[in-house]
Amino acid sequence: MTQSGFTVDVDQNQYLPEGGRDVSAIVTVTSSADAAGVHSAAAGTPASAEIIIIDCSGSMEYPHTKIAEARAATAAAIDVVRDGVWFSVIAGTNTAWPVFPPDGSMAIADVSSRAAARQAVTGLRASGGTAIGQWLSLARQIFGAYPAQLRHAILLTDGKNQHETPDQLQAALRECEGVFSCDCRGVGTDWEVGELRTISAALLGTVDIVPDPSGLAADFAAMMRSAMGKQVADVALRVWTPQHATLRFVKQVAPTVDDLTARRTPSGPQAGDYPTGAWGPGESRDYHVGVEVNPAGVGLEMLAARISLVAGPPSAAELLGQGLVRAIWTDDEALSTKINPLVAHYTGQAELADAIQEGLEARKQGNEEVATAKLGRAVALARESGNEDTAKLLAKVVDVVDAETGTVRLKKKVEDVDEMALDTRSTKTVRVKKAQS
Amino acid sequence: MAICPNGHDSASDDFCDVCGMRIATSPGNPQAPAPSPATGIPATGITGTGLPGTGAFSTGAMPAGAMPVGGPPAGQGAPGAPAESCPRCGTARTGQFCESCGLNFAAPPSSAPPVPAPPGPRVPPAAPAPGADARLTWTAVVAADRAYYDQIRTASGVEGEAIDFPAYYAERRFRLAGAQMRIGRRSVSRGLEPEIDLTGPPVDPGISRLHAVLIAALDGGWAVLDPGSANGTLVNGTEVRVGDQVPLHDGDRINLGAWTAITVHRG
Repeated sequence: MTQSGFTVDVDQNQYLPEGGRDVSAIVTVTSSADAAGVHSAAAGTPASAEIIIIDCSGSMEYPHTKIAEARAATAAAIDVVRDGVWFSVIAGTNTAWPVFPPDGSMAIADVSSRAAARQAVTGLRASGGTAIGQWLSLARQIFGAYPAQLRHAILLTDGKNQHETPDQLQAALRECEGVFSCDCRGVGTDWEVGELRTISAALLGTVDIVPDPSGLAADFAAMMRSAMGKQVADVALRVWTPQHATLRFVKQVAPTVDDLTARRTPSGPQAGDYPTGAWGPGESRDYHVGVEVNPAGVGLEMLAARISLVAGPPSAAELLGQGLVRAIWTDDEALSTKINPLVAHYTGQAELADAIQEGLEARKQGNEEVATAKLGRAVALARESGNEDTAKLLAKVVDVVDAETGTVRLKKKVEDVDEMALDTRSTKTVRVKKAQS
Repeated sequence: MAICPNGHDSASDDFCDVCGMRIATSPGNPQAPAPSPATGIPATGITGTGLPGTGAFSTGAMPAGAMPVGGPPAGQGAPGAPAESCPRCGTARTGQFCESCGLNFAAPPSSAPPVPAPPGPRVPPAAPAPGADARLTWTAVVAADRAYYDQIRTASGVEGEAIDFPAYYAERRFRLAGAQMRIGRRSVSRGLEPEIDLTGPPVDPGISRLHAVLIAALDGGWAVLDPGSANGTLVNGTEVRVGDQVPLHDGDRINLGAWTAITVHRG
């Protein structure tokens, strides 16, 4: 393993036919298992800050167990906060207020502060509305006063964002982008998958459904453990492309599909940065990069993209690793027509996520033909790529006649929770073994 | 500072910072890819042999794109780029294309110096060696066929509605060789690697894993056989009966799936 603790591998077919323009590559970024906090802050300053945001809207009382489980889950997450980390707890309704510490500061975690926080959480009651933008804004203000490198929040909600406009939420999100990351959880089935996905995508976090409130505590503790494991903050993919080339897209494709194309920040001549958030040891993610280049003559080779992994502020970014995406023009069709298995696999996984989301949308609109075709396609893709988790979720929404060809029938009655679980987890991908050669 | 084949100044000495062209290290052969002794970067894919990274930082084992970071900067002199001017309009050259008239300096490709041939190069041959096999070669050209798509869509109704005609399809060519060429879609799970692999994107969902087989005849010709695909195969618009071998002629069109056409050419 390397000094920086990161490796960058590129998988592609670099051969293009004469006149070929499209270069596609899978970039695998891996942090080593023993990457000890290379970027931990100066001694005495906590490197991490955590905020737990709990929905305390009136609906959290129905059923009554929801708010009780949310309190228990928050306490479980607090227990996992490492000594010396800044943390606080926020409650949200149609407004937001600090629960612990009650003055809107952050506490440094130790035995007594964790106990005090747990005590404060037992007082949470549910009443009022839902305005998630306000919750996020309060978290941003609190984070802003503390110079931690790793800022992470957990957001729990059970309902739609009803008490502010989508524009207000968008505006709040824009201000939070780059300030902290946020994992979102929806409990029950009255929340909006698209809404939470927008938040988690903008804030580089995960989104999932917790169908049963009793599952919250374990999930919260796991999320907090994962957050505590993060050691390198603000890692970005810096993509350089040659003159006259077009960067068509940059997508994270594993562990989930997440299109980063619109998240580009220019970072130099012909280069732009795409945020990947914080990294823990032993993490591995795949990115799909598509570049359109100006063709050169047969036998010539050019660099289609230089992918650098950088950390820290754009002005003083540290280089963690680098990979090259190449283009070589050839008139040997055996070379140029070969499709890289990884590129094919992830193209299929992205199509799978789209097919599910479009199929569920069509089903909601009552367009059964399109829904059947799209979800059938999804079943075939899930089968073909060995994405068993997604295949199982699909089987709760459609009756599979033949998985191979994607012949399905829509189920007459589908539980809301199954439909939402499929929608929420549609972006989860599986990885394939790398080609040996 | 290195100078690329297109005349750009580049701080990187492997590929040009401006246009991305590989930067030569041997003055006599400005466009030939070669291992760079300064950085230990193998010219992957051309020479086929990778040198171990000598930089302080090796980014991984994959030869296709991993490279050392933090290796010593270019020490050796790059070939001085001659001040070239456009043969058509006389403007000084700044890139691959003339800034004034747009002429492609790299064209015609035949003027490009040949790639050296160390062990294992996959240098594309210009043409099959004449005389080695006097038999005519057959080629299968795969394309997306709008007329066929429309016809299928009308015929199949509901199911056809949801399959879109691809917005873009790069024509693929396969040289027919061996005793048979299977047409289908690669399946990792089933260990199926058809010689004519129609895996997308864009993918034609109507094509079976093993859809049809082209079989070489003793007289040097080819025939098509549908071993029982889900959606059938047409030759010049006529359905092929499962199990029948239909001899092919120059220019015959095989249709399969929702929009795929394979045209065979002799010679």
